[in-house]
Amino acid sequence: MAGNDDVVPDYAELHALSDFSFQRGASSARKLFDRARALGYQALAITDECSLAGIVRAWEAAKDGDCRLIVGSEIRLHDGPVLVLLVENHAGYSALCQLITKGRRAAPKGEYRLGMADMQGLGEGLCVLWAPGPLHGSEAARREVHGAWVARTFAGRAWIAVELHRGPDDDAELDALRALGERHSLPCVASGDVHMHIRQRRALHDVLTAIRINTPVAEAGHALFPNGERHLRKREVLGRIYPPDLLAESTCIAARCLFRMDDLNYVYPRELVPEGSTPAQHLRNLTQMHMGGRWPDGVPEKIAATIERELALIAELEYEAFFLTVYDIVRFARSKDILCQGRGSAANSVVCYCLGITEVDPANAGLLFERFISSERKEPPDIDVDFEHERREEVIQYIYGKYGRERTALAATVITYRSKSAARDVGRALGLSEDQLDQLSHAYSHAHGDVDIGLRLRERGFDTSSRTMRQLVGLVAELHGMPRHLSQHVGGFVIADQPLYSLVPVENAAMDDRTVIQWDKDDLESMRLLKVDCLALGMLTCLRKCLDLLREHRGVSYGRMADIPIGDEATYRMIRAADTIGVFQIESRAQMSMLPRLKPKDYYDLVVQVAIVRPGPIQGGMVHPYLKRRSGEEATDYPSDKVREVLERTLGVPIFQEQVMRLLMVAANFSAGEADHLRRSMAAWKRHGGLEHFEERIFKGFAENDYSPEYAARIYSQIQGFGSYGFPESHAAGFALLAYISSYIKCHHPEVFTCALLNSQPMGFYAPAQLVHDLRRQGFEVRPPDVTASTWDCSLEPLHARDAGNPKAKLALRLGLRMVSGLSSDVAQRVSDARRHAPFGNLDDLCRRAALGRGERERLADAGALRTLSGHRHRARWESAGIERDLPMLGTTGEERAILRPPTVAETVFADYATQSLSLTAHPLSLVRGQLRRRRACVASQLLSMEHGRWIRHAGLVTVRQRPATASGITFLTLEDETGQVNVVVRRDIAERQREIFLGAVLMAVDGELQAVEGVRHLIARRLHDYGDLLPGFSAVSRDFH
Amino acid sequence: MLWACLRFPGLAFAAAFAALPEDVPGALLEDNARRRTVAIVNPAAQKLGVQRGQTVAAARALCPSLVVRARDKAAEAGLLAELAAWCYQFSGHISMAPPQCLLLEAGASLRLFDGWSALSGKLKQGLAALGHVHALAAAPCPAAAWVLAASFDGCVVQHPEQMLRLLNDIALSRSGLPAKSVQALRSMGFRRLREVFALPRPELTRRIGREGMHWLDRLRGHASEAIPAWQPPATFFQRIEFDAELEGSEPLMFPLRRMTQALANMLAARDGGVQLFRLRLEHTRVSFTEIPVGMAAPQREAARLFELARTRVERSTLHAPVRAIEIHAEQLPTFRPPLRDLFDPVRGEGLDWSALDERLRARMGESALRQLSAVADHRPERAWRHGDGSTPPLADLRPRPLWLLHRPRPMRPTPARVLAGPERIESGWWDGGDLRRDYYIVGTRQGQRAWAYLPAGSHDGWMLHGWFA
Repeated sequence: MAGNDDVVPDYAELHALSDFSFQRGASSARKLFDRARALGYQALAITDECSLAGIVRAWEAAKDGDCRLIVGSEIRLHDGPVLVLLVENHAGYSALCQLITKGRRAAPKGEYRLGMADMQGLGEGLCVLWAPGPLHGSEAARREVHGAWVARTFAGRAWIAVELHRGPDDDAELDALRALGERHSLPCVASGDVHMHIRQRRALHDVLTAIRINTPVAEAGHALFPNGERHLRKREVLGRIYPPDLLAESTCIAARCLFRMDDLNYVYPRELVPEGSTPAQHLRNLTQMHMGGRWPDGVPEKIAATIERELALIAELEYEAFFLTVYDIVRFARSKDILCQGRGSAANSVVCYCLGITEVDPANAGLLFERFISSERKEPPDIDVDFEHERREEVIQYIYGKYGRERTALAATVITYRSKSAARDVGRALGLSEDQLDQLSHAYSHAHGDVDIGLRLRERGFDTSSRTMRQLVGLVAELHGMPRHLSQHVGGFVIADQPLYSLVPVENAAMDDRTVIQWDKDDLESMRLLKVDCLALGMLTCLRKCLDLLREHRGVSYGRMADIPIGDEATYRMIRAADTIGVFQIESRAQMSMLPRLKPKDYYDLVVQVAIVRPGPIQGGMVHPYLKRRSGEEATDYPSDKVREVLERTLGVPIFQEQVMRLLMVAANFSAGEADHLRRSMAAWKRHGGLEHFEERIFKGFAENDYSPEYAARIYSQIQGFGSYGFPESHAAGFALLAYISSYIKCHHPEVFTCALLNSQPMGFYAPAQLVHDLRRQGFEVRPPDVTASTWDCSLEPLHARDAGNPKAKLALRLGLRMVSGLSSDVAQRVSDARRHAPFGNLDDLCRRAALGRGERERLADAGALRTLSGHRHRARWESAGIERDLPMLGTTGEERAILRPPTVAETVFADYATQSLSLTAHPLSLVRGQLRRRRACVASQLLSMEHGRWIRHAGLVTVRQRPATASGITFLTLEDETGQVNVVVRRDIAERQREIFLGAVLMAVDGELQAVEGVRHLIARRLHDYGDLLPGFSAVSRDFH
Repeated sequence: MLWACLRFPGLAFAAAFAALPEDVPGALLEDNARRRTVAIVNPAAQKLGVQRGQTVAAARALCPSLVVRARDKAAEAGLLAELAAWCYQFSGHISMAPPQCLLLEAGASLRLFDGWSALSGKLKQGLAALGHVHALAAAPCPAAAWVLAASFDGCVVQHPEQMLRLLNDIALSRSGLPAKSVQALRSMGFRRLREVFALPRPELTRRIGREGMHWLDRLRGHASEAIPAWQPPATFFQRIEFDAELEGSEPLMFPLRRMTQALANMLAARDGGVQLFRLRLEHTRVSFTEIPVGMAAPQREAARLFELARTRVERSTLHAPVRAIEIHAEQLPTFRPPLRDLFDPVRGEGLDWSALDERLRARMGESALRQLSAVADHRPERAWRHGDGSTPPLADLRPRPLWLLHRPRPMRPTPARVLAGPERIESGWWDGGDLRRDYYIVGTRQGQRAWAYLPAGSHDGWMLHGWFA
């Protein structure tokens, strides 16, 4: 035993893995730093394996303490030794990023490949520790070879890492390594090969190992570490293991590695500014250039002043390049006729409105830029741009093309263990069978915060008092929230002036030709890197199709969304009546039930509406105070003028994320940085909190400003309710515009809207059956798919052939062949091409000219799409089956005519549903109405005139099952019959007691009490019945949202 | 000719759930389905609302403790063969119609068994005793018997016209036509065989193909057909997996009785006997206990076979719980072989190790003979086990004593000096055997090298664990 027991030596840990060495490191950087600080380490190097994915978090963990972060990485060469590279300076950091990028790009996603040859030209500014690993008999020779290579390749900056972990003979090992060092003139240094912050993580580490090698722990054998020594050990203990010179060497190396993450400087792409101009000047020029487009009659003075204020703020924060980048992307989309819409804090500016990044006129809507961007909060600007979902790829390719693949990449998303995935992996590591793993997933997936997991597990047949299950529950809790792997962000692009690999390593994504950087959006925010979110939005595709159809059939030409008239009273009337099936955002059950109460009358009301009906605000108990204040039932009060300023626009109730932050700043003395910290941790709250860290701070702050404890408590619980759902006003503003535009088109051109919506499926809350029903309810004719008239897409055709070309004529909706499930667009294309040439004479003619195969003919026959050529389905199927593929000329003409029975109405309806999930012939419930009446079920339309509190029975097809993540455990069901839809509320106890019917019934009857409050009608279920026996063989159509 | 068809609707379930207690809800999954859906359920599951067609997730929502299995085609075929062997006593011409039917030519047996009602009575009684739910029908042609067994249990038709009348009413879905043809015909509005029989032949052929047409002909006895006769197999193998691991030999007796009964059935069908069969008790994927059951003369009686197997199993020590049991019988002599004494002097060149090994095991029992093999575990106590010698040695190069004491004991006097260490071992939390020790190689006052440990981090409490050579 070396060393002296009395002196506590100084030490810096130079080799430690965080949990970003996936399935290897068992502790987060934060835990490692907390422990290292407590132990008085001088510095701690985070050296994740060929990765810097966790380095920003490590940097943040190290920020407020006196234990310094050293940036580094462990590299396991495929043909050589294990090296730990430590960054000395900026050049070294770039060299490390490049090396990691090289290794990662040369291997499939999640892996890397680096060999000795790759290390030859390793850049300056890196210290190299060589970890020879435990000595096995035959490997002594290899140690010599490696030692010579290390000494030669990294002359003057290489060390032997002596990592002693209470092996069979540490003293012998130490002597051997020292001798090795002397032979190759390599100094030795003590280091810990740390995999966990404390010894107690040993079990979790064993589990991670088992997960990594995909074997149960019990069979993992020597892949497990023999002991728990790879944790951050006390300096006294290290002093007994290592001689003083080796420990002292660690602090010497630490003193060389002075690089700080703060030293990184990111530069916005420069090419957006023309030669000779500055970004500020160029942004100003562009804004002025486009002002005329927005205000053709001259820019009002107030607006001009706002623009000046905004430009000054942008210049102060040096955000010009960001605006220019987004402008460039949007300009490209415009030039290709791709609809797009920006949202986010920076998007709500007159500048963005001028540049066409957003169509929301902020001045008009009462959204002030300063509310979102302020110079005191140094947060980076945020603009998400939504594009038509079918055409976003073009935009992405443009970005890659413009900046090159070296300078642009997608941001990463860190996929963390959720309790379900953690339970599965831990269960597998503990040797549970596949069947038990399924059970475990179920138990954990339904484990809402308020149900004890032990209870859930016992219900699934697990013995929670057994050793294995006790260990499992504990390990799952530890694993929960740990990073699991990197994935790609949905659309966040990082663009830099310099090649990205000098800033952050780049690796391959799962998709070909996509690369991701190793940092996620929070990391980017911390490092103040520019990120532009290019997202896909189905509603924009739908609106694009609306605009095209309007131009084609109505001769109305809206070049862009901004041309749609704003403030249309008929549209708001429709919205207030909750007639919003299909429109953006405000179409869901919950949204629709809120509309008649909230009664939106202008754009800002829609902004509130979009934000208010989210699980967050509902849970926080905010909806009711807002509604009460709006209807005048409750007085609006402000405890101070400062609070009034923040909350006035939402009647004293915090609804938006921005308000919460602002409120804490003005009323609870939060600094801008603290408020921002709170905002970012909001996203991570989920159910199990995080706000508690702020609780004391919040109450104290309110007290300091003389607010009553009751008021503080109210605000506190309201903030708590936000959870991860707190919705920012800046995004609600963008969504509200799309909600308005889609409502406008639905209001004035419902047939156009439905047609476009059907052609953009799948999207939205409703299935095609409901959309079609909604249109027919308004008196429009919908025609079935038919090979003599339909194309792939649904289309509009004049109601009467004589009206063709008349832009005022009434239109009918012709369902397209896309509605027929199991049919490819290619078939539809062949059919329409052949038809364009000449109309079809008969079935043979169709099959020959459109080259229809047997399966395709059958599908069309089943869907009823051959009705014009063949008659009813039975005949269509008989005839199409008689055509022999290779000899179409020998068609059905010479056949003996078979006697065929026409389908009954019920058969037709069943076949319609089987092929299109909807029927134009009849509603399935009308087939059994007689029996339903005998069972005393009333129809949906009757419910509209019934009084509140009445007990009734209603039966319908279950079309939607929706369980919002509210704590109350309520499920909303939508039942549909031939007269309309009924919203049913099922409480948890009913759902549990009648689970089988609740989950399984296709045709359900509900006994319950009708609730009718402020125009909103719900049936509160008391008892459920499965009436499936009335429609035997009918297949399910429900859309289930959990 | 009179063909009887036996249909076993519970066969797939019984094959997959050979060892499931009746009161445990179980469900068999549909095969070839992309989504995991339920195909067959037992009454316990049915009572809780589990139904055919539900997804596993939905079924689990209704019945959290549901045991779910995939279909086991091999076990089904085995079970069907077992039933065929049993039926062999009633007819010399038996044909398998997988997955769940057997065809018996009963015409030739009628006189022997005194008419149909007596024969069918014996069949039904016997099958009920074996615990197999079944349906039975008989008709002049095998295809018709097969179809009728699915729709009219217990019906027997001797005359072709009578048979046709019954077939007319059969729904297409139960007609035995290929699923594709059924679906096609239904989509043209046809529901029963009568309507299809009435269609013009060339037009119908064009729509359901020659194969479909041929089946319709077979049904009506318009086509002659050769029914392949089942032959009793030359070897016997059966495997039963358990849902829980079984401790000790007692719970193995129930499955063992079933297996030996099945073996006896098969031997009866072959009119032969067995002289050696092997039981294989599986503990984990890689470890198992094998018990050979040999006897002096070929045997075929179920009770005797069970008795033999039982004693052998009870005599062997099972070092771990059992999760599956297999029975193998490869030599099925049809005659009595000459006896040979176990201790006959071995002729030839030296010792035949494997034969000796086998004989010693058969003679003295499994526990009398052992071989050591290494196990990858950091804990010394668990780093070896009694194995079969087939596991390769591990490349663990840590210094370990040749002689490891059966259990550590306090070391007195304490070591004279420490030669190496401490080697810290902390491992085994997952099976309740977690230990934390600092191992040292120490020298005793007599100059012996010993392996001893202290509780991790402590300085006294020496325990001796082994000796180096």
